[in-house]
Amino acid sequence: MTKTIVVTSGKGGVGKTTTSASIATGLAKRGFKTVVIDFDVGLRNLDLIMGCERRVVYDLVNLVNQEATLHQTLIKDKRIENLYILPASQTRDKDALTIEGIARVMHKLKKSEFDYIICDSPAGIEKGAKMALYFADEAIVTTNPEVSSVRDSDRILGILQSESKRSKMNEEPVKEHLLITRYNPSRVKDGQMLSVDDIVDLLAIPLLGIIPESPSVLDCSNAGKPVILDDDSEAGQAYSDAIDRLLGESKPHRFMEAPKKGFLSRLFG
Amino acid sequence: MSSTIGVELKGGMYTFMSLKLHTSDVDIVDQKLADKVQQAPGFFKDTPVVIDLSLLEDLDADINAVALLDCIKRHQLIPIVASIGNKSSPLAKSIAIPLIESNARRSGSTKTVANSPEVKANTGTDGTAAHDSTAGDFKPTRAEKLDSSLDVSPDVELGLSREVEYVIKAPLLIDKPIRSGQQVYARDTDLIVMGQIGPGAEVIADNNIHIYGPLRGRALCGVSGNTSTRIFCQSLEAELVSVAGNYRMLETIPEELRGKPAQIWLDKDRLNIEPL
Repeated sequence: MTKTIVVTSGKGGVGKTTTSASIATGLAKRGFKTVVIDFDVGLRNLDLIMGCERRVVYDLVNLVNQEATLHQTLIKDKRIENLYILPASQTRDKDALTIEGIARVMHKLKKSEFDYIICDSPAGIEKGAKMALYFADEAIVTTNPEVSSVRDSDRILGILQSESKRSKMNEEPVKEHLLITRYNPSRVKDGQMLSVDDIVDLLAIPLLGIIPESPSVLDCSNAGKPVILDDDSEAGQAYSDAIDRLLGESKPHRFMEAPKKGFLSRLFG
Repeated sequence: MSSTIGVELKGGMYTFMSLKLHTSDVDIVDQKLADKVQQAPGFFKDTPVVIDLSLLEDLDADINAVALLDCIKRHQLIPIVASIGNKSSPLAKSIAIPLIESNARRSGSTKTVANSPEVKANTGTDGTAAHDSTAGDFKPTRAEKLDSSLDVSPDVELGLSREVEYVIKAPLLIDKPIRSGQQVYARDTDLIVMGQIGPGAEVIADNNIHIYGPLRGRALCGVSGNTSTRIFCQSLEAELVSVAGNYRMLETIPEELRGKPAQIWLDKDRLNIEPL
């Protein structure tokens, strides 16, 4: 059974693409045949984060328009077995996508026996975002610990309930997961950021994980490597935990407390 | 969308005044109607009425149905249909307006039983001025219909009775959170939400609003003018609350009430907020 997961947020710049790349990589690393689709037609980014920007020949729009085959379009990841990238078109816009076209692509992916289809949604609540979430079985709602991001997440949750295929066909609703990214416990302590409890209270959906703010996220993005592959970084470990929870394991949440300053760092920090 | 439909056939339930005749004597009816109409001339003018003839059928007297109808029309009531126990009775044949067979006689009661199905009783956001496409697609949990009818006791001494039917409509029940940007309208009824109202969400009802969760968005009750409606919520963090058009914003809500269970109602144009 193929599972389709949309990574969405409403707001831009909160870490949807970073999350899509790491979730897809994490699932593939655990042996699931996984494809990650960039729905941000016109603002292609996922290929950079995945480090495959030089290997893009055909794209999602070619596939939707039946100008290329699935085999020609999918880019196989060089690091991880079972991981494929379906890039967006950079020269077109979101109007190039149609529900019928996407449905054909989804059908082909299911026939190719993919276990997971990860849809990297563009920001906003317009056509691109609606296309990305339409076929979702589950949704990872990416939220930063600040009020505007939380409100936009609330908005996108409403759209998931009313505009997804599952809601339109009166099927079981899309399973919602909350992923808090760029969490900085010491700034929460100072009252500059919302706490995990506040966000969970505001959005009222189950918490999948907390990704701490970490310089390694930017380093990995620049290097074209999903941060989940950086086992030494807290962010990488937090994504690994999130994968375990996504697969049904229950794990305590980490990285919620500010690190206690030792004697030396207190002296020099 | 709707312009392409053209026509639409639907079942529906409407409330009419029914005029029950306790006598077939045209003079008495004329006199009593004149008295009635005089009490509130504007109220009865051009009002469609259902003529209830069930009490006259068993009378042996020769009934001049035409004269009775003329008399009723003279008082500016508009008889639209006659309710009768037996459609093939001589009285039924002599009456020149459409007939409905009442089951009142069979059940041995004079109550008007509301038995026509009410279509679209609780379709959620039906008719909402949706400001966005996400608003229209709610799937409310359909509560059991509680339709029933109540009769105002017949005014027997006047030889006439006036029965007004009231329909109790089931509340609109929503068992999940209302998210930012969503809008829900409970038309002609109560709204019950088993969850939170997100910031930027809007809940509207013609009747009361009950929220079993935090109210962070906007809540407007009594929007069609019912000033005796109230809003109840478990945690008052609303952006705006309004009862029959009288509203208050969060900043004018006293600090000590915020985040507390509260009710909001109207007391002579003054919006009251009180802890529960």
